[in-house]
Amino acid sequence: MIWLGVAAAAVLVIIIVAVSGGDDETTDTTAAATTTAAPTTEAPETTEAPSDTTEAPSDTTEAPAETTTTAAAAAPIRIAIVAPSASNDLAFTQSIVDGVNAIAAEREIAEIAITDGTFVVDDAAAAIRDYAANGFDLVVAHGSQYGGSLQEIAPDFPETSFAWGTAADTFGLPNVFAYEAASDEGGFVMGVIGAALTESGTIGIVGPIEVGDAKLYVDGFKAGAEANDSGVTVNINYTGSFSDVALASEAAQAHAAAGADVMSGTAQMVVGAISVAADQNILWFGTQANQATLAPEIVVASQVYKWEVVLSDILDKVAGGTLGGSSYVIDLENGGLVLEFNEDFTLSDDVKALADQTVADIISGAIVPTE
Amino acid sequence: MADVPMLEMKGITKRFPGVLANDKVDFDLFAGEVHTLLGENGAGKSTLMKILYGLYQADEGEILLNGTPTLITSPTAAIEHNIGMIHQHFMLVETLTVAENVALGLPSSRGALTDLDAVSEKIVQLGSQYGLEIDPEATVWQLAVGQKQRVEIIKALYREAQLLILDEPTAVLTPQEVDQLFDTLHQMTADGRGLIFISHKLHEVLALSDRITVLRQGRVTGYTTTEGATRSSLASMMVGREVKLAPDKPDVETGSAALEISGLSVIGDRGNVVIDGIDLTVNEGEILGIAGVSGNGQRELAETIAGLRQAESGSITIAGTDVTNQRPVDVRAAGLAYVPEGRMKDGIIGLFTVAENLLLIDHNSKEFLDAGLLNFEAIRTHSQDLVDEFAVKTPSLDTPVRSLSGGNIQKLILARELSGTPTVLVASQPTRGVDIGAAEYIHKRLVQQRSEDTAILMISEDLDEVFGLSDRVAVMYEGEIMGIVDPKKATREQVGLMMAGVSQEQALA
Amino acid sequence: MSDFFTEAVLIATVAGAIRLAVPLLLAALGETFGQRSGVLNLGVDGIMLLGAFSGYYTVLKTGNVWYGLLAGIGIGVILGLASSLISVTLLAEQGISGIGVYLFGLGMSDLLFQRLVGTPVPISKFPKIDIPGLSDIPWLGGMFFSHSVVVYLAFLAVPAAMFVINRTTFGMNIRAVGENPEAADSLGVSVSRVRWATVTIGGTFAGAAGAALAIDLGIFQQNLTNAQGFIAIALVYFGAWRPLGVMAGALLYGFVNSLVLQFKTLGIIPQSWSDIAAMAPAIITILALVIVARRFRAPSALTKPFTRGT
Repeated sequence: MIWLGVAAAAVLVIIIVAVSGGDDETTDTTAAATTTAAPTTEAPETTEAPSDTTEAPSDTTEAPAETTTTAAAAAPIRIAIVAPSASNDLAFTQSIVDGVNAIAAEREIAEIAITDGTFVVDDAAAAIRDYAANGFDLVVAHGSQYGGSLQEIAPDFPETSFAWGTAADTFGLPNVFAYEAASDEGGFVMGVIGAALTESGTIGIVGPIEVGDAKLYVDGFKAGAEANDSGVTVNINYTGSFSDVALASEAAQAHAAAGADVMSGTAQMVVGAISVAADQNILWFGTQANQATLAPEIVVASQVYKWEVVLSDILDKVAGGTLGGSSYVIDLENGGLVLEFNEDFTLSDDVKALADQTVADIISGAIVPTE
Repeated sequence: MADVPMLEMKGITKRFPGVLANDKVDFDLFAGEVHTLLGENGAGKSTLMKILYGLYQADEGEILLNGTPTLITSPTAAIEHNIGMIHQHFMLVETLTVAENVALGLPSSRGALTDLDAVSEKIVQLGSQYGLEIDPEATVWQLAVGQKQRVEIIKALYREAQLLILDEPTAVLTPQEVDQLFDTLHQMTADGRGLIFISHKLHEVLALSDRITVLRQGRVTGYTTTEGATRSSLASMMVGREVKLAPDKPDVETGSAALEISGLSVIGDRGNVVIDGIDLTVNEGEILGIAGVSGNGQRELAETIAGLRQAESGSITIAGTDVTNQRPVDVRAAGLAYVPEGRMKDGIIGLFTVAENLLLIDHNSKEFLDAGLLNFEAIRTHSQDLVDEFAVKTPSLDTPVRSLSGGNIQKLILARELSGTPTVLVASQPTRGVDIGAAEYIHKRLVQQRSEDTAILMISEDLDEVFGLSDRVAVMYEGEIMGIVDPKKATREQVGLMMAGVSQEQALA
Repeated sequence: MSDFFTEAVLIATVAGAIRLAVPLLLAALGETFGQRSGVLNLGVDGIMLLGAFSGYYTVLKTGNVWYGLLAGIGIGVILGLASSLISVTLLAEQGISGIGVYLFGLGMSDLLFQRLVGTPVPISKFPKIDIPGLSDIPWLGGMFFSHSVVVYLAFLAVPAAMFVINRTTFGMNIRAVGENPEAADSLGVSVSRVRWATVTIGGTFAGAAGAALAIDLGIFQQNLTNAQGFIAIALVYFGAWRPLGVMAGALLYGFVNSLVLQFKTLGIIPQSWSDIAAMAPAIITILALVIVARRFRAPSALTKPFTRGT
């Protein structure tokens, strides 16, 4: 019997060795590891990357030696990101990773370091402090739950710039930027489209917890749907968890039972809901990243965050010696929010025109999605 | 008796780290006899039997079964060789039924499925054959102690044990239950079974055995047939010198009532009534013995007197002071000394040294303080005096108490408790698990304390002790006092009946 | 409220409760075996996560959900054996060693996912089986007889577990070893063999539970189980170490969650209550645990490693 156990342990060891030593076969990903992007690296086309299962979306295999040879030109900057879920979650964390990678394509960045999966705030705080102590120029704390930690850490590193999102508050600290997304704008537009597409007159939305970015998006979607058709019913279900995929799946089942034929949802656990929607042929609107790859036949459109708009300005300020103090909002007007339509889903010209008009109205200020 | 013994153990040696538990022990057993293994705690009896039952392996020596050298590597092997063991602590699964306990570990006639109906049938049959009636469907935790022991014996009989080891089987039985057990055991030997009986209750050993082997410190130090042996000859073999089993008790004029308990009721740990309106008085210069099978409220009585347990109703006074539900420290101030039943748990702090343990109740006394700090010189002098006076065998005053023997720990507790000349001494099981030499000394001290006019309440399961020391004997059963008898007039049988719940009138009739 | 009492919503509520109960039921049934024999395995969630990933990955690669379920079971067996080695043979402190297994499963499943898959890709799910005749019954058919095949398997495992525990010699040995291992040992029952078997059964069920979860959701994600393994352990206590009680607990848990979801969806509970509603299942479980603790006793030898002698 003991040998069975030893054999089991041996199998586990073999698995571990196989995985950790598997770099030759599998392309390195940005996940759970610090990666180095040389400034000359080609632009990683992450937002449009086909989700091949074994290939990582970003190209990060450039030799680090090249970094040092080309870095001298314009004081290249080192950026670190700390985020709660996986880098490729097709949601919140992926949005910032994609954003930084997009920036790296445009300007010289000496190093990008990513620590993802830190849903435990204390782990995130430790990572933030480590990066600051290791001389990173900009440390991005990507999670509203990290605010308290950042407020303690930032004053200890006055030479380091910090960015915190999604949030509006810089704590009055000179070396903290805040950034958030006007996710209600894209939500509004997609709500308008959803109301135009529903046949049953019922729309279901799955959210995590009724705060911050999620609440903004859900409220915007509901307002848009009702603005287009006051007769439409919008059911909302906050599951109470950012990570409970099974509960999100059941929330989608509940929406389906209530008659919804159009759904949307926000945060990383919605993958469970999308899967249910796909099974029941219910239309889906995504947010935070392009979710078309998850269910090409039902995803109509996704609101994609382009944090590079914000990051670009922050990097300009940092280069100019300003380490913080201002807060940013990405929206449709400044191009930080983009609606990406699923090419595999055919949308009528009428609806497309309605969407474009709504976008234009929001940018012009004719429509204010939520108060 | 057959010519070839059913069991021969030759030159058995077993070493544990730092201890020689068995040293070239020889032991044999013939079919149809009872061979007693007698010895103090730690003499090596249990080790020898665990070797026989396959729980330990001997370092040297061999075991012959019916003349054939045999290796017994596990309980399974022992059972296969028709060896059964009744353990001192019941080896029963409380949440299983009697039948399940009996069937456990045996192959079933229905393969992977249990065959409890067939097992039950055989249990009933064995029960009527040996006077061991029991309901096979009953769950074990519902059974009384005596019934549990029946299950243990049935387990062995069911496995067709020819050789049965009985490790202190009478420890928890009333005298009547002991008689019943002995009837069953006699029947088993008459059927040709061999029994190994382990006990330190000398009169039981004399009543049951054919032969007696005495162990001391891992070695065989005596062997005798029961014929011609006496209690004191056996005690001397166990201890290695002459032993007085019952101390001489001088006549003492009893004084006024020192401990008065009236109408006392106490709720136990499980929320049930464990002491039900009892009245007791102990006078100065008197030992009142409380007899009873443990678990009938004795422990709770002692704890309530000591202030460690809340009384529901009734009162306790010590020398006229009402101490009902007072803090332990106040009860002690009123004149109580207390030797608790749980020696290691409640009597001492095992990691503390001898000197520290001796100081436990006096650490606030001015005698040992110097400007609020402990005066180590005074403490050492005091401790050394007590250790000398009570003949506590310890390497030094700085030895952690848990490394002392049971008898020495008990003497140490007694030394601490008696150092303040108390008005009342409550002593729970004062010699349980203590070697005979220490027990002899403790008895002498109790009698001496009685001569100094202390009122002593002695709770004991050992009827020899109760009869030998007490001036009066109160019998407790299910939280009530069944009656108070004079040990010079009452018999063990009468007290035994009362311990089983028979009223005093009926018992004495 | 009237929206709630429609056929579609009531069916969805009950069917949802059953779906949510299944992974918990499987994991808790397995854990029941271990706990009845005296071993608490806190690593259930870790085993579920690795079972979930291996099930997911196998389906992703082969397209066959049964291979996926087998892969989850296989991983469960391996981790069950490893847990046995740790807690039975090496006598590790069960409160700590299980957490080690959990953290291993949590980290390893995510690492494997990131290395081998990366971006989540949907996989095919278990086939749904409408039981002929029964599934046509109005209302009840949709609630109970129109489920994926693992749902039926999980509930069939309940009487099977009852039978094994109560009617077989192996089950009797399990109960004896969990209550008084010394007594069992003295009768020649190998305590370690019984515990190896039960802990491995527990691992197997946990692996199956994880695979069932992943294949039912059709997706994998970091920490997919979201601590369901720990709830399963609590359900074993809730169910007083009896398969029927465990099933009742899993269903109650599933039902409360499902009901809360339906109520929130239909606006019967204000959204602002979502946090309170999220706590409801936990509160109900704690209350039930308090009641159970008064009436039933845990196996006496639970969490106590066994060594012969002394």
